[in-house]
Amino acid sequence: MDILKVRDAQDVEQAVRAAIASEQPLEIIGHGSKRMVGQPVATNAVLDVSALNAVTSYEPNELILTVQAGAPMADVLSLIDSKNQQFSFEPMNTSQLLGTPDIGTIGGMISAGLAGPRRIQAGGARDHLLGVYAVSGFGDSYKAGGRVVKNVTGYDVCKLLAGAWGTLSVMTEVTLKVMPRAESERTLVLRGLDDIAANKAMTAALGSPFDVSGAAHLPGSALRTTQGALGEIASPDQSVTLIRLEGITASASQRAVSLSTTLKSFGVAEILEDAASAVLWAAVRDVTPFAASGPRAMWPVWRIVTPPASGGALGQAIAKGSQGEVIYDWGGGLIWAALPPSADAQAAQLRKLVNAAGGHATLIRAPEDVRRAVDVFHPQPKGIAALGERVRHSFDPKTILNRGRMSRGLGT
Amino acid sequence: MTIMMPAPDQAVLARREAIVAALHKLVPGEGVISSAAEMLPYESDGLMAYRQPPMVVVLPDTTEQVSKVLKYCHENGIKVVPRGSGTSLSGGALPLADAVLLGLGKFKRVREIDFDNRAVVVEPGVTNLAISQAVAHAGFYYAPDPSSQIACSIGGNVAENSGGVHSLKYGMTTNNLLGCEIVLMSGEVIRVGGKTAETSGYDLMGIITGSEGLLGVITEITVRILQKPETARALMIGFAEVEHAGQCVADVISAGIIPGGMEMMDKPAIHAAEAFVHAGYPLDVEALLIIELDGPGVEVDELIKRVEKIALGCGSTTCQISTSEQERLLFWSGRKAAFPAVGRISPDYLCMDGTIPRAALPLVLRRMKEMSAKYGLGVANVFHAGDGNLHPLILYDANKPGELQLAEDFGADILRLCVEVGGVLTGEHGVGIEKRDLMPEMFSEVDLNQQQRIKCAFDSQGLLNPGKVFPTLHRCAELGRVHVHGGKLAFPDLPRF
Ligand SMILES: Cc1cc2nc3c(=O)[nH]c(=O)nc-3n(C[C@H](O)[C@H](O)[C@H](O)COP(=O)(O)OP(=O)(O)OC[C@H]3O[C@@H](n4cnc5c(N)ncnc54)[C@H](O)[C@@H]3O)c2cc1C
Ligand SMILES: Cc1cc2nc3c(=O)[nH]c(=O)nc-3n(C[C@H](O)[C@H](O)[C@H](O)COP(=O)(O)OP(=O)(O)OC[C@H]3O[C@@H](n4cnc5c(N)ncnc54)[C@H](O)[C@@H]3O)c2cc1C
Repeated sequence: MDILKVRDAQDVEQAVRAAIASEQPLEIIGHGSKRMVGQPVATNAVLDVSALNAVTSYEPNELILTVQAGAPMADVLSLIDSKNQQFSFEPMNTSQLLGTPDIGTIGGMISAGLAGPRRIQAGGARDHLLGVYAVSGFGDSYKAGGRVVKNVTGYDVCKLLAGAWGTLSVMTEVTLKVMPRAESERTLVLRGLDDIAANKAMTAALGSPFDVSGAAHLPGSALRTTQGALGEIASPDQSVTLIRLEGITASASQRAVSLSTTLKSFGVAEILEDAASAVLWAAVRDVTPFAASGPRAMWPVWRIVTPPASGGALGQAIAKGSQGEVIYDWGGGLIWAALPPSADAQAAQLRKLVNAAGGHATLIRAPEDVRRAVDVFHPQPKGIAALGERVRHSFDPKTILNRGRMSRGLGT
Repeated sequence: MTIMMPAPDQAVLARREAIVAALHKLVPGEGVISSAAEMLPYESDGLMAYRQPPMVVVLPDTTEQVSKVLKYCHENGIKVVPRGSGTSLSGGALPLADAVLLGLGKFKRVREIDFDNRAVVVEPGVTNLAISQAVAHAGFYYAPDPSSQIACSIGGNVAENSGGVHSLKYGMTTNNLLGCEIVLMSGEVIRVGGKTAETSGYDLMGIITGSEGLLGVITEITVRILQKPETARALMIGFAEVEHAGQCVADVISAGIIPGGMEMMDKPAIHAAEAFVHAGYPLDVEALLIIELDGPGVEVDELIKRVEKIALGCGSTTCQISTSEQERLLFWSGRKAAFPAVGRISPDYLCMDGTIPRAALPLVLRRMKEMSAKYGLGVANVFHAGDGNLHPLILYDANKPGELQLAEDFGADILRLCVEVGGVLTGEHGVGIEKRDLMPEMFSEVDLNQQQRIKCAFDSQGLLNPGKVFPTLHRCAELGRVHVHGGKLAFPDLPRF
């Protein structure tokens, strides 16, 4: 395996140009923590951007951060934390789920675009990426977007790059919007609801004026073997439903009380404060019930995005049909499903249910032979798939970048 | 007219009668308008200095009709300009002499309201405000609120990625969409997203939003709705120096407060607005901030206190706090009427729309004053201060020969200045024709070529809304060519492992 460790944007340009000339596709990595996600990439040359790791500028007053794409997540998070700011889309840390070292770069985080619980209130990575410098599959450096929060000059190319798993361009520098951290948080805990009732409770909470910033449900079966924060609040075989409120202290605590009243038909809510609340949401965000170090280590894990109000019904059907386990985030709009191992991760049956619900499913964790056998990313209707492919082609006509990562057809 | 549009295709113009007849077959009834008198209302959009009668106007009312019209135009090499309500301030909906103007005004239905999924499915001709009205009975609203919300269409909002006073806290159009249906120039109908928080595959909805009618015609939109905050209150704060107001904005944000809205007006704008609506604005200040806080009552009351204290610390000279809904609306009345108010003190004005890093505000206002003296034209500033989005209104008189040109040159200088200090050409009004020729100030040819390649993926013949956004048009075949830079490794010293 050939690993090219680039030092600057010019190196990236040259590496891509050489790859075009030699018709050698490149696998793009930051720290490579997510290399096991997606279709296996068809190449043996790796472009490593982790040396592009400088912070270009951070202006807390402008709510703007510009960093090179290889900057380590850990460093960036502690930098903005020092100013009491955060990425409000709450990106997940995949290391527990995937069983990888606790590493990762900002470019990898954006390319994966995996937003956490606050997605329902604050949006995803796509909503916070304001500008990029990148190198396309033409081997050209270009920029898109800007360094201000409000900008409609030219096409919003940033939206395409977030969540593209490095198949459109190699990002060299990114500008992100950061937001102040909330002063306080409160979590309402409801116990013993089944998936349908919990879905209703979360729908009621999200339809209330109390500005909910997290709504998750963990069925008892998924909690049974869970360690850590979630394990500690769970009673044997009893589900927990979590609803989070954030803001200034007076407001968060008052809303918690009001929301408990709104939800009283679902039971008496216990209220957790600040640190006790935060650890739970970190566990939900990082999907610890299905951690690679836990009893579900060998089970493939799906990430299903679906209309929230019918998420409970979908999750129940999946769990029942597959003998698997599910947990819910985004008020039912995000379902993580761990299914007993099989050659195709039960893709066909699962996708049938998901399609009927109007959702889509991505296989986030599975052994390589399984990922070769199924579509990791949700198969799309012909028209969209063809348009998506034309868009990809407009960035990388020779399919140099991460060939086949998002689409099985391209790898062969 | 200083902005040149592509030369009309004489061969298309020569076929006009046959084209009109063919369109009549595709869109029966009153859906085709071809007489000069009836086409008059379509000659311009909100950028009224520019007018151009279209070749013909088509007003379909189903996706199928849109698809047929586009397919016909595609097959016959005819250009198409989409239009919503025609309030664009950048000339995005300006007709072309040899193009079909495709109006979406008949797409007026709210198709579905789904409170459980907090989603509303609408047709593109529904006005922005009508969405909020349709869900108000259940306490919901649609957050992005351009000042033109009574008139502008949601389709136009998607095409322009419009923002409003509340964008600072609730985002622009793009942050509040769940799905859309678009018809490509080929006539193909594509649906992306739905009631899910994220779409699958590439974020095509994200690239369509803000594409100014160049990528596809939007025929259905699913938006996210929110519960109305329990209360909203506003502070109206005067400052003797613009710098102090700018500092106040920065300090509010660094204190971790994201207000629902944070607007600034400079002296000329304050005076014009006060003369028009008598909102009680202080006239002896250099800058006025209106800061609105929304949310639960306890939160708003507490944050009002914090903001007031921050303002005092920045040297505020006056501070009024709304105690009733009526008073809150009064504070806003002057800001919301700023454009017509300026319209009263000047025969014509040009509304600019750059964004700057907020820290650059004092510098930009100072330089603008110098330019105002140089060009001999007045300028009044209203400003979405929270997110750095400036709206300088350049005052001129179109009846005085040369003044439009002067005003446009002044405007271009302001936008160049925005880019120079690290900002951008447009924060919410779009590039259209107005800022088209300034794109190279911000983007290199390589940058613009990559954007145009995306256009090629949607519209390979460049028939949809040509002459907008991009200063030079390239053929898709030319843009798609990959240059092979020799076969050898060009980076011998690159570390390899
Ligand atoms: C303390 C700590 C906290 C963390 N917290 C979070 C967190 O809150 N949220 C979070 O998301 N992550 C967090 N992480 C890291 C996280 O687990 C991911 O591993 C990481 O974001 C992925 O980065 P990577 O460089 O390993 O990705 P890789 O596996 O190298 O790449 C992932 C994908 O992105 C592509 N890619 C990578 N770089 C580029 C680029 N420059 N241009 C284009 N495509 C590129 C790759 O081709 C691949 O498809 C944290 C890590 C630490 C150490
Ligand atoms: C007084 C006034 C105040 C304003 N205030 C604001 C403000 O606060 N914030 C703000 O962002 N803007 C503002 N605007 C600008 C304008 O209202 C917005 O850009 C609005 O979104 C345009 O909507 P429209 O329906 O009028 O679109 P049009 O003007 O008809 O069209 C605008 C562009 O969108 C395209 N388009 C329209 N409909 C479709 C469709 N269905 N499919 C594909 N393309 C389409 C057109 O081709 C054109 O390029 C203001 C305008 C005025 C006149």
